[in-house]
Amino acid sequence: MWTTFFLIAIGLVLGIGAWLLFMWAVKSRQYEDPERPKYRMLEDDDEDNR
Amino acid sequence: MYNCEHCSIGFSEKDVVFDEIDGQQKVFCCHGCRGIYRLVHDAGLDSFYSKRTGWKPGPADEIAVTPDVFIEHIKETDRQAQIDINIGGIRCASCIWLIEKYIGRLDNVISVNVNYATHRARIIWNNEKISIDELLKKIASIGYCPRPYTSSVYESQIKEEKKDLLIRFGTASFLSMQLMLYTVALYAGFFHGMEPFYRFAFQVIAWIIATPIMFYSGYPFIRGAIYSIRSKTLSMDVLIFLGSFSAYAYSVAIIFSGSETQEVYFDTSAMIITLILLGRYIEAGAKGKAIGAISSLISLQPSDAMLIKEKGQRPVQTSVASLNPGDVIEVIPGDRIPVDGVVIEGSSEIDESMLTGESKPAAKKQGINVFTGTMNINGRLLIKVIKTGRDTVLAAIVKVVEDAQSRKAHIQTVADRVVAWFVPFIFFVALGSFVFWFYHKGDVSVALMNSVSVLVIACPCALGLATPLATLISSGLMSSSGILVKGGDILENMARADFIYFDKTGTLTKGEYSLTDITGYGIPEYELHRLAASVERGSEHAIGKALNKGIKEDELYDVADFKAHPGLGVSGIIKGDAVIMGNKTFLISHGVKFTDAQTNDFNCLSAGGNTVVGLALAGRLQGWFSIADSLRDESEQVVRELKDRGYKVGLITGDNRIVASEIARKAGIEIIKAEVMPVEKANEIRRIKESGSRVIMIGDGINDAPALIEADAGVAMGSATDIAMNSADAVLMGNNLQLLVKMLTRSKKTLSIIKQNLFWAFSYNFIAIPLAVSGKMHPVAAALFMVISSLIVVGNSLRLYKDK
Repeated sequence: MWTTFFLIAIGLVLGIGAWLLFMWAVKSRQYEDPERPKYRMLEDDDEDNR
Repeated sequence: MYNCEHCSIGFSEKDVVFDEIDGQQKVFCCHGCRGIYRLVHDAGLDSFYSKRTGWKPGPADEIAVTPDVFIEHIKETDRQAQIDINIGGIRCASCIWLIEKYIGRLDNVISVNVNYATHRARIIWNNEKISIDELLKKIASIGYCPRPYTSSVYESQIKEEKKDLLIRFGTASFLSMQLMLYTVALYAGFFHGMEPFYRFAFQVIAWIIATPIMFYSGYPFIRGAIYSIRSKTLSMDVLIFLGSFSAYAYSVAIIFSGSETQEVYFDTSAMIITLILLGRYIEAGAKGKAIGAISSLISLQPSDAMLIKEKGQRPVQTSVASLNPGDVIEVIPGDRIPVDGVVIEGSSEIDESMLTGESKPAAKKQGINVFTGTMNINGRLLIKVIKTGRDTVLAAIVKVVEDAQSRKAHIQTVADRVVAWFVPFIFFVALGSFVFWFYHKGDVSVALMNSVSVLVIACPCALGLATPLATLISSGLMSSSGILVKGGDILENMARADFIYFDKTGTLTKGEYSLTDITGYGIPEYELHRLAASVERGSEHAIGKALNKGIKEDELYDVADFKAHPGLGVSGIIKGDAVIMGNKTFLISHGVKFTDAQTNDFNCLSAGGNTVVGLALAGRLQGWFSIADSLRDESEQVVRELKDRGYKVGLITGDNRIVASEIARKAGIEIIKAEVMPVEKANEIRRIKESGSRVIMIGDGINDAPALIEADAGVAMGSATDIAMNSADAVLMGNNLQLLVKMLTRSKKTLSIIKQNLFWAFSYNFIAIPLAVSGKMHPVAAALFMVISSLIVVGNSLRLYKDK
């Protein structure tokens, strides 16, 4: 019985973690420009990558 | 020391590059310049070198920026400042890369983000260490033009709504996934048996997870339902609220009853909310796309202007906001015109496609009006400012298009009325099926699930969405091709019209009058012309403008008590004598008598299809003026096309019968109403409306205003007077009658899309509700179908983007 509730707790924590990640992504405007990221992979990062 | 033929930079003898072009020796500072010179020469464009003026040798100038206009847009938090700006000159992803890297690498800049789709940058920087001034200069120094970003209220509303929906939907989906874990466990327990303790624990966990979905994610529906109940109308939100919350409340009741046989339905209530949020999110996206096109118009307005303070001085850069009417500004080729104004020096071609949809540039010279946001292509212009900021044509267009979206089409008010009785009807159907299944099966949960299905599947979202989205897309598309429609109701009226009345002057004809003949009675022709020009000076009518040609401003008499009589003529007092000038009816009504010879002259002059006006001084006729106007190039073709499509086409004008029938004959119109007063024009249109037709009136003058208002749809030409444009429901900005045909086609197409949408929405309900009542549909499936039905309506409306 103890193990079941332990697993439930882990499940909930992971779920909340994923939700927080999503909220962070929305708040940091990652959903506002779906066009740009596909070009980003073509950009070479040069020497002094800060 | 030589000067390069191409770039004019001076350089020393040892670097010289010689080339022989057409037998002449030319010197260049490098092979690059030589190559370009040859290119230009071979293309036969040598005159470029003699034409370039106001230009200094050397590398391209930095674009100067004035930080004042940006300052109000800065948002400051402790030590950090943030600003959103539009960046002009971005062509591809590398431009964005360059700006982000270059600006991002400056000390004290915290972050730079450029949006690929909107070319809008958000910069966050340390305000104490680096000023906005410097940042803007840096952007300008790499060749991009920063402009302050002012969003339209409507656009930012949609954006907010979309973000809010995304967060609510995202939260709901994460929680729903969690919820399903426990629900599946409970399903398994239902089939295979489950220890009561676990069963109870899982039900409670499901309850805990479902609660934020209901009250946080479902908040828009709760709020909507409360508003709607308070205003005593039942909206769609009420159905969704009732559907999902009854399942939720029932499940909570089961937990508290401690029942070991009844199941909980938290998953159902949560899934309904989640799926419907998804549908709303996609809708908001489609709406945002349609609005974005309009808002991008606003960003065409430059924020800076080159002000010339005194004649002959070098221009100084100032912000547009600080300009006043009457100021003179310089606009060089390649710049957008920052104000509405009139050209006072120079000539150029101007790209007005953003206003008129006409891709051919318009030639502008002295005395011709230019508009904000249009692009000066090839000549330097001096412009006198008439209007700035919110008063410009560009601003008016944006406002009209935004307002149009809030005006409802008639067909939509029908849909709204249907929804108004549909919702209570569904409510009773749901209640009925609950009672039926409860007596039939004796099981509350079966009865409840069936009635929840009914509530959810019947949600008339598709019905509510059928019209507004299609209207939104259409009015956006039309405005980009130079047609301004002021509301969804107008699109519909336009599509249903079968009778089109044209005004003559300026609508069927070019409205460019020219004086062809003057017949004077005992007065020198020049003196007669002078009198006419003086009294007509204050007139906005095209005839008045034609009469003013050929007479210098300082030769005009002073006119006291000037009065314009729309559709008739003008009157005033010159040197103590009353001057009456206008058509025959007007003169007669002022007691002017004609001799037989004068009447005969009048008839002769009119016979050729020219407009004839008379001038009377102190009650005596002094002479006739014959004024010619030619048919628009496209008039005849447009009339033919309209007739082919089954429209009845008529001509209505205040001008005399002879002129009107001549013009009508040329244009191919059979129905003619001539010598009609402005108010009678409106009466005539009312009469036709009463006979069962729907009338479109097209006009351009003050005298058409009553008719434009009376007609089912009033259309003004782009060259029309302000009053006509304000009275009209739609404006052909492109000032071309072909746009009328385009507008009719588009509005028909829009109406048919709306009808398809409504048909789909109704038939979907017609099929789905009986299924739900008969208990064949699970509530979650019902929610899914409901969303799909809405999305079909969205997709169908998006079809309007095809065949622009």
